[in-house]
Amino acid sequence: MAVAALPVSTSRRAIQTTLASVFGPLGQVFVFVIGSAVVLSLVTILVAFVLRGTRTDVDLVQSALVILPQVIIDGLVRGFLFATIALGYTMVYGVLEFINFAHGEIFMVGAFAGAALSSVLASSGALNALPVPVFVVVAVIVGMTVSGLLAVGIERVAYRPLRNAPRLVPLISAIGVSLLLQDAVRLFASVSGLGFNARFQTPNFGPAIRLAEIPVSETRNIPLVLDVRALTFIIAAVLMLIALNYLVNATKLGTAIRAVAQDRPTASLMGINVNQIIALTFLIGGALGGAAGVLFGVRVGTVNPYMGFLPGIKAFTAAVLGGIGNIPGAMVGGIVLGFLEAFVASYLSLLTAGAFSGASYADIVAFAILILILIFRPSGLLGEATSQKV
Amino acid sequence: MGKATALSQPFLAQLNRGPLAYLALALYATVTTVLLLSNPRTSLGTDVVFILFLMTFLLLYRARVAGVYKLVIGLALLLGVIPYLGTQNAFYVELAIQAAIFVTLALGLNVVVGFAGLLDLGYVAFFAVGAYLWGILSTPQIGQISPGASPLDSSLFYLFLAIGLFVGALFGILLGFPVLRLRGDYLAIVTLGLGEVIRVLAVNLDRPINLTNGSQGIKDVARPPLPEPLRALMGGLGDAQIYQVFIYLLALLVLGLTLVVVFRLKNSRIGRAWEAMREDDVAAVAMGVPIVRMKLLAFAVGASFAGAMGVLFAAKQQFINPPTFDLLRSIGILAMVILGGMGSIPGAIFGGALVTLLDLQILPRIAAELSALKRQGVGIPDWFDPAQYQRALFGLLLIIMMIFRPAGILPDERHRDEMREVEVNPEAETQPVPNLK
Amino acid sequence: MALLQADNITKVFGGLMAVNSVSLVVEKGSIVSVIGPNGAGKTTFFNVLTGIYKPDTGTITFDGNSLVGLRPDQITHLGIARTFQNIRLFNNMTALENVMVGMHTRLHAGLWGAIFQLPSVRREEARARQRARELLAFVGLEQRADELAKNLPYGDQRRLEIARALATQPKLILLDEPTAGMNPQETVEATELIRRLRDELGITVVLIEHDMRVVMTISERVTVLDYGSKIAEGKPEEIRSNPRVIEAYLGRGAVVDLSN
Repeated sequence: MAVAALPVSTSRRAIQTTLASVFGPLGQVFVFVIGSAVVLSLVTILVAFVLRGTRTDVDLVQSALVILPQVIIDGLVRGFLFATIALGYTMVYGVLEFINFAHGEIFMVGAFAGAALSSVLASSGALNALPVPVFVVVAVIVGMTVSGLLAVGIERVAYRPLRNAPRLVPLISAIGVSLLLQDAVRLFASVSGLGFNARFQTPNFGPAIRLAEIPVSETRNIPLVLDVRALTFIIAAVLMLIALNYLVNATKLGTAIRAVAQDRPTASLMGINVNQIIALTFLIGGALGGAAGVLFGVRVGTVNPYMGFLPGIKAFTAAVLGGIGNIPGAMVGGIVLGFLEAFVASYLSLLTAGAFSGASYADIVAFAILILILIFRPSGLLGEATSQKV
Repeated sequence: MGKATALSQPFLAQLNRGPLAYLALALYATVTTVLLLSNPRTSLGTDVVFILFLMTFLLLYRARVAGVYKLVIGLALLLGVIPYLGTQNAFYVELAIQAAIFVTLALGLNVVVGFAGLLDLGYVAFFAVGAYLWGILSTPQIGQISPGASPLDSSLFYLFLAIGLFVGALFGILLGFPVLRLRGDYLAIVTLGLGEVIRVLAVNLDRPINLTNGSQGIKDVARPPLPEPLRALMGGLGDAQIYQVFIYLLALLVLGLTLVVVFRLKNSRIGRAWEAMREDDVAAVAMGVPIVRMKLLAFAVGASFAGAMGVLFAAKQQFINPPTFDLLRSIGILAMVILGGMGSIPGAIFGGALVTLLDLQILPRIAAELSALKRQGVGIPDWFDPAQYQRALFGLLLIIMMIFRPAGILPDERHRDEMREVEVNPEAETQPVPNLK
Repeated sequence: MALLQADNITKVFGGLMAVNSVSLVVEKGSIVSVIGPNGAGKTTFFNVLTGIYKPDTGTITFDGNSLVGLRPDQITHLGIARTFQNIRLFNNMTALENVMVGMHTRLHAGLWGAIFQLPSVRREEARARQRARELLAFVGLEQRADELAKNLPYGDQRRLEIARALATQPKLILLDEPTAGMNPQETVEATELIRRLRDELGITVVLIEHDMRVVMTISERVTVLDYGSKIAEGKPEEIRSNPRVIEAYLGRGAVVDLSN
């Protein structure tokens, strides 16, 4: 064929395939971002419209519309948070069929590494001298390194000896690791003087960006603002997802990871060092979790040793939602779950006149989704149905 | 523990069976009892003696003597020495009550995790359901739900122990039904989620109807009326002390009934079906075992004990609030089961008692001794307080057990017989790994 | 009279047609073999018959009952028992207990009966134990009753699987490669045991088998599958000379057996 004969064309094709394999999944994520935002907004407004008669004190539709842009931004931030953590679960599950229960704690350790760094910088007076992007990059790299190495260490000590044990044995060990890390970090927090609720100091991010003004009435305008920290979070998360897609879909290492995920014994026969690839998977998943921890810490300003549990469980839910073991699935699942949570957290109180607290029931929503997905579509949104071999 | 030394040394091995064993057991029980009762004030020495005293039960279990003899000594200690000790020092009876409660919970969870092989990380939810059942109905909280209703009479407590069994079982079925088709590791995460849902509901169901009184919890939960014979028997003591002993006896009763039930179920057609299902679910279903029904049954049976103990727990504490029923509690109970040995009844008893002691007595005692040393000027850093690191304790227990001894410290009878043969040959140190699916 | 009648069974996995419109009639009291090269869909066919997989199309009638849509345990209750190609015993249970699990569907002790140790339950339990020992004796394992299944030698594990299947009191037993991995002596014994299932216990037998000597010695009818489809059916001697069968096996070791 002509293609083989023309090197220029092949290399162009190779670049095209690379671009497609890197940005294809991101395109999918983009579609789900828009889709979730639109669908949930419409549903919310519809419900507000239907319930309009129940309230005389406020106009439900107007109140709902006013906070809508902020809710969508909140959904994006939550979505990317869950997506980055979910990748760690899904990659490990992909190669080992094992739920790394301690992954939420890897996220928490990353956040603490960032907090410790910022506290050192602050006490030396260098913190405020640093430009914001430099600080974010340095903190993220520190978080990624600490969490990535920790994840590799945990795999070596607590999971590898149990690789051929029945399924629940490593899971129980992972639960143990999770508890141990919580207390180890608590100890570290108390010895280092960071404290249980450690502050995550940052340089000044500046005021929020004003995007637009929404006229509510003739006398009142509601500003539509974008918090710089939220923006930082979203940009950093998108960059990491691009890098991950490149690594997994367009490099030799990525091919090896996918080969091990598909069939471990055969991959090993093909000369792939399976232990090394598994360690690498933990490194990448852990690093992503650590980065998410730092970014989360930057955004909320405080971190604590028990903060990893809920995001961890929710990110696992996101991974299952998208189809566990499936990398684009984890991103999509994270986005969908993030939006759902943001909408429930913001609107439940409003729409039920305060009878149900949105923030608490948002957690229940996550668990309910987990259960429903596992029962009705265990393969997730993007996964393929598999059947047990007898 | 005691086992390893008892088997490896010839002299101690002699003590383990034959006429000498009867004498040694009686002697050991008497000496520890006398030591314990001679100085019941809480102190390091008494703590050590108390643990030595409790080890009598372990020795009784391991010794090759007639069952009747074991029963007589065991009951004498449980029904005589410990209640009497309680009149001298309430702390040790409180320990015994807590141990009885958690041993019962461990036995219940052992049915689910050990017998049926279903990893349930939300087990404490059923305990919460029982506690809230009695908590709501026996206090003015009931008036919040149905205006005008007055609290139930405290003598209905006994009826509610039984109702707690059924309500626990009902919740076991309700929560179990949607999830039992899931594969093992998914089941674990989903039960964890359901457990958290129950806790979040307990916090938030003070609105729109005040069902649980939210995070403030429910106070003044009713205790059962003191039976007159017990008051007469323990005349001269204050009601608080008598109550302590009374609750202890009640907890022991529930524990005893639980033991009988789990023991009989294990050795029945149902227990065999559970074990088969745990070993290989495909083969089990192909042999005619209806696995979904058997899983539901395991969930219901396990949950029922937690429900009944929840009722008792609410009456004992007289106060319940959501943090008591968090995930850490579920994992603590799981740690008890795993420490003792999944599927092993003696293991669950041992694990439940040991973890409770570690948690409430041994670690606080070490902490107290350390701070005493610090006052004397020994350089112990402020942050070092072992009683504060419960999670690390449970975590380490789980990891170490999984890596080095997944079958537990007191594994199932059958596995133990196997290991006995192994112990002749020091080369072979491998233990059978319980086959969990 | 047909004990089992499967019509046009199809089972698809993804794009793979694992079983393609296969029909099988098993007469009461007969011994029938299903043969075919590896991956021909024999085990999948067994899994459909026993309810582990649901067929995509087709009907199965057993002893007057339709089996499609029933759970595996319900099918076992109706009287079909099976063994597995890669032995699936309950490894950490004793041989006796393995057999007693097989009796599950024929015993009645419920939750309350077990908790209160009713006299009827105790009697039933004693009878079950007795019966399990008899079944172990039938397959020649009476000396091994209290050994853990995983500690038994390979051949004994295969026998124990048969004893466990017999404990379900089947009318039909499906044996998935009962002589796989056995030496010639063990194979002869196993063949003898299979014959006794029918002759002494009156149980109808369907077996998947690779050893053509076994197939030709004991089966009354043989069905041949290849790539999920039935390519031949008939008496052993007819199968032996069927050109399509020889073609399906060509190049494989089995062709030698066929021409013998």
